[in-house]
Amino acid sequence: MACNSATCNSSGCYKEYEVEEEQRQPTTRGGINGSATTHQILCVKCKSNEFVCCGIGGDDARFCKDCFKTNLYGKFKQAVSYNAMITPSDKVLVAFSGGPSSRVVLQFVHEMQCRAQKNFDASKDRSLPVFGVGVAFIDESSIHSFASQGAEKAIEDIRSIVSKLAPPEKELYVVPIENIFSSDNIDGKERLKKLLDAVSDVTGKEDLLIHLRMLSLQKVASENRYTRVVLGSCTSRIACHVISATVKGQGYSLSADIQYVDSRWEIPVVLPLRDCPAQELNTLCSLDGLKIVELLNGPWSSINGLVSSFVKVLQEENPSRECTIVRTAGKLTPFHFNRIPDIHDSSVPSATRRRQKRHSIKPNGSLSSESFCPICNSPLNRSNFSSSLRSLESNKNSDIFAAAACSSCRFQIIPKEPSLTEQFVSLLPQPLITRAKHGDRGDFSLREQIQEFLLSDGEDEI
Amino acid sequence: MEADAKPKKSGPRLCCICTKRRAVLKRPKTLEQICRECFYEVFEEEIHQVIVENQLFKPGERIAIGASGGKDSTVLAYVLSELNRRHNYGLDLFLLSVDEGITGYRDDSLETVKRNELQYGLPLKIVSYKDLYGWTMDEIVKMIGLKNNCTFCGVFRRQALDRGAALLKVDKVATGHNADDIAETVLLNILRGDIARLGRCTSITTGEDGPIPRCKPFKYTYEKEIVMYAYFKKLDYFSTECIYSPNAYRGFAREFIKDLERIRPRAILDIITSGENFRISTSTKMPEQGTCERCGYISSQKWCKACVLLEGLNRGLPKLGIGRSRGLNNDIKKDTKQAGGTKSIESKQCGSLDF
Amino acid sequence: MQLTLEFGGGLELLCESVKVHNVNVDLPKGADKLTMRYLLSWVRTDLIKERPEMFMKGESVRPGVLVLVNDCDWELTGQLDTTLEEKDVVVFISTLHGG
Repeated sequence: MACNSATCNSSGCYKEYEVEEEQRQPTTRGGINGSATTHQILCVKCKSNEFVCCGIGGDDARFCKDCFKTNLYGKFKQAVSYNAMITPSDKVLVAFSGGPSSRVVLQFVHEMQCRAQKNFDASKDRSLPVFGVGVAFIDESSIHSFASQGAEKAIEDIRSIVSKLAPPEKELYVVPIENIFSSDNIDGKERLKKLLDAVSDVTGKEDLLIHLRMLSLQKVASENRYTRVVLGSCTSRIACHVISATVKGQGYSLSADIQYVDSRWEIPVVLPLRDCPAQELNTLCSLDGLKIVELLNGPWSSINGLVSSFVKVLQEENPSRECTIVRTAGKLTPFHFNRIPDIHDSSVPSATRRRQKRHSIKPNGSLSSESFCPICNSPLNRSNFSSSLRSLESNKNSDIFAAAACSSCRFQIIPKEPSLTEQFVSLLPQPLITRAKHGDRGDFSLREQIQEFLLSDGEDEI
Repeated sequence: MEADAKPKKSGPRLCCICTKRRAVLKRPKTLEQICRECFYEVFEEEIHQVIVENQLFKPGERIAIGASGGKDSTVLAYVLSELNRRHNYGLDLFLLSVDEGITGYRDDSLETVKRNELQYGLPLKIVSYKDLYGWTMDEIVKMIGLKNNCTFCGVFRRQALDRGAALLKVDKVATGHNADDIAETVLLNILRGDIARLGRCTSITTGEDGPIPRCKPFKYTYEKEIVMYAYFKKLDYFSTECIYSPNAYRGFAREFIKDLERIRPRAILDIITSGENFRISTSTKMPEQGTCERCGYISSQKWCKACVLLEGLNRGLPKLGIGRSRGLNNDIKKDTKQAGGTKSIESKQCGSLDF
Repeated sequence: MQLTLEFGGGLELLCESVKVHNVNVDLPKGADKLTMRYLLSWVRTDLIKERPEMFMKGESVRPGVLVLVNDCDWELTGQLDTTLEEKDVVVFISTLHGG
């Protein structure tokens, strides 16, 4: 983005694909200079059509409709190809909440798939397959108080949106969030409610729900053999995460959450809209008439709510603030899992493989066997982690669980009263318990994955 | 009024430490309810622990306390001289104040520091912008207006404190930055994209490679407790906002921190923890430290920031110093070549000092 | 009801630089006790001369303003629901400026 803050370091700006947006001096926002008003205002890119909308760069980012869309799609495409997010043999699952960001990511993935299909149909040897796309909607109506009728209507709308994004056909999975318990053969709804009720901190409750949502997505993806989970997290959303993670004391693990790729999960998660601010995505939705289903996300409260209103105020004061926040956090050192595992599949074009090698993040120095919080799956800061385990005297499962968690989850999610802790842990879905069992005694389920990284990185060096 | 005069009808809540006296305070750090006496004890003891654990001072050192007359530095001066006596730190303590030359603000607060000098028996040294730079803040504001004046003041104060410390021949400067201040700085550095400062700002001691290191004994101390301590101890401090600094931007962050503290008091310490744990690559290029060609102060550029700003002021081009410094130094190199005549006059300001 | 109100930490500037105010506050109509909630709205309308937003936010004090009732942190006495009595001393201190 064009950064107009005096302190901005221009070298960090997303220059590569926004050459048309040069560093600009601070000007009054939205104001059109006297000289400009006398002329017809043209799109800054094609210089032929009249501008209809602004990117968040303000006056310097006035685009006509087509150029605006091309620019936004360009950012998406750049993120996808530079980070090898989607390859022809992949099957990607797009997480769709109904909101504008995930609506745009769904649209873009669809458009990308259409192009791939066209190339496939046109090519003689048909050597490159077309990647598959599925859509998942996590239905959280069982834990929100609003009428189930509203939820039914929303799901109907989502079905119609997805069915119109064809060809190629896309499978839609509407999954009630309580399905994370399904393998345990009990009443999921009741258990989920009890689990959330056990968390007294409002922010902790919200965050636990976010973790459970990711768990659901992973479950759907894994059961249906998807190879990627695509999230619509936009710059604004990530900026809020940067601040709220900082506020919750998660400074160590923060850099893991905000990269383009996060393969600490069974199915790697990718964030192709990392460079797109919410404002631009909203604009695109209204320009292109993309239907949005806004219903299932209640307002944030507590810390998360405070953070998002703080970021909103900052953004109003300076339209590139969110980009600056994400850029700052982007300078923190990522983890070894913040890249797609190396591709050895011969069906992948060699250009993609080369590109991946060039752009993906090299793990820094010692590739330690990272330990992860069983609840939020954050990598744990070694010093804090070992001290909490060392001080552990009991052998009770719930105590071990609590000690293996990150300090933030220990504070805001896990109940402090020992009997309540036990109950809370017994209510957790199985994958979290498994994560704790493998994580806390140095016997990693992740070890194999890590080993893979080690080997492939060694190869890179040679 | 007397504290123990009127317990509430609902019955006095007892201190959870001594379980005897009436609780008067809820600690933001621990949510404990404690009485006044126990508060004094834990407050002072925690600061002592921070000093010991981080080895902030060595026996026999000369320490300057950056004293503005405000709550933090007043409490710091009081507590440090108290702890120095009680735990035999063996420190020579001094008060060091900077007179920016702001009528109606600094002149009043300096009166407070002068009273502190007598009350705590600590020798006071005042260094003024007028003496160091030839300009008071009042004069600077008259020239440049209210915009950006904090840039000047900040740069000048930083250097003035170092120069004062050198005059006092102290080994270290202790400043009154509290936990709220540090949390705020962490956030501001994120908002600004300043990764280098973000990495440094939570260190309890800084500038160890420079001439005079600085330390922050109140790094983990909540502002609320500092104000409560000053209030209960009836410490004499000055509390008016600088008349030139209605800094809206910093204000946002401060207000956010206070809102956070209300919902979750621990958030302030959590932000500091985050700041300490951020994975910042040490291989990131740090600007090389050199010395200013004009005044000899540490600088990564040809001229230190203060000299650049001063140059602008003296030449009637105050904008020269605002913005990115790389360009500025280049500008100045060019300018000084062209206008050799002014150079000798300018260098007087800084050159008159032995640094 | 006779109360002593004290403003410190810069808040005195909002009421003509007078730190200590001996005031007489009438109970609100139909009420049998005086709460901090009511006192704050009374201070806002009857005592504060300028920039009330430096003192209040919503129906409470602005975050960063400490309140002591008879030298006791109001977080221990129920904050807005604290009941005041004859001759009580209420102190407001801003922590927001001056280092």
